[in-house]
Amino acid sequence: MSIPGEGLAKGLAVTLKTMTRRSHTQQYPDVAPELPPRSRGVIALLAENCTVCMLCARECPDWCIYIDSHKEEVAVPGAARPRQRNVLDRFDIDFSLCMYCGICIEVCPFDALYWSPEFEYAEYDIRDLLHDKEHLGEWMATVPPPPAHDPNGEPAKEEAAARKAAAPPATDQPSSGPPNARRRPGSGSRTDEEPP
Amino acid sequence: MQLPAVLGEPIRFVLNWGRRYSLWVFNFGLACCAIEFIATSMGRHDFIRLGVIPFAHGPRQADLMVVSGTVTDKMAPAIKRLYDQMPEPKYVISFGACSNCGGPYWDSYSVTKGVDQIIPVDVYVPGCPPRPEALLHGILRLQDKIAAEHSGLGGVARPDELASPADRVGPPVGRSTESLTAPPVPPPAAQQ
Repeated sequence: MSIPGEGLAKGLAVTLKTMTRRSHTQQYPDVAPELPPRSRGVIALLAENCTVCMLCARECPDWCIYIDSHKEEVAVPGAARPRQRNVLDRFDIDFSLCMYCGICIEVCPFDALYWSPEFEYAEYDIRDLLHDKEHLGEWMATVPPPPAHDPNGEPAKEEAAARKAAAPPATDQPSSGPPNARRRPGSGSRTDEEPP
Repeated sequence: MQLPAVLGEPIRFVLNWGRRYSLWVFNFGLACCAIEFIATSMGRHDFIRLGVIPFAHGPRQADLMVVSGTVTDKMAPAIKRLYDQMPEPKYVISFGACSNCGGPYWDSYSVTKGVDQIIPVDVYVPGCPPRPEALLHGILRLQDKIAAEHSGLGGVARPDELASPADRVGPPVGRSTESLTAPPVPPPAAQQ
């Protein structure tokens, strides 16, 4: 059934086919790699947004986030009592322990944590993999801008409210939804955001 | 063994140049990180470009050990044994969270909390698992380290802090030979 040398001919055919193609090797140290979108490299911290709610540290499956803080009294002029606010003293992420699940970024209610696609932080000493607040803040410069809004998607709540406030209150009919629906057929059913 | 000082800088440069660009790698693949290591060795990332030669025949022919994956307490003696079999200019890359410090299994009863508890590690690559480019970056860091080291003919001297005093070569520190040849101490009289 089998012709002698059939396998050899098949193998050589594959060799000839791939010989004419260009190599697809990425020249990494010389050329920056094309990372996929939403690539999970390192976690960046925007310390101004952090309110020390500890949600990220409590939700972390590895417990690799360390947070210390203290309370500070801020005297607001005109207020009866001084207000209290939390001041972030320490925010460390142990990247030797982190499993890159992104739960901390998901649960952060004030958008203080972001994914950055940077991956070049291999270290000689494992203690240097504990990135402190300043080091995590430096990664903020590498965070890519968020993806553009889907033109067919429903607008953000804030956007809709701003448009409603800016629109002239000429028509007192309780149906400001239909003009929206006419412009975007995809969101026609979402007219239940009327003020009571 | 240290080189004579008269040979000096050019010999050191040549030795380090040879060592950093012919790293026969021995993959200690233990878990999913090994898949990323294999991806790095294949055509798309191809670390032979950096002089890292995969698939050494065994630890006795290897210069670099990449520990990629979860090190369990049962596997730890095997890692230590194979590391000891490697010839002396030898380097270790710890690849991934599990081999760095146990990773998601840091609370497990059976997982070694980092391969650096049993062998000295040169470069720690973070990630779970790290990207193939992250391993390439770790290899670049290792090559920088090799280029800067002052090594003799047998590589860099690495005193093993974890070795038991019985295995130590040379005269024991802090204990005289008289204690070995001294007459046995009689048991306390209370035990009869």
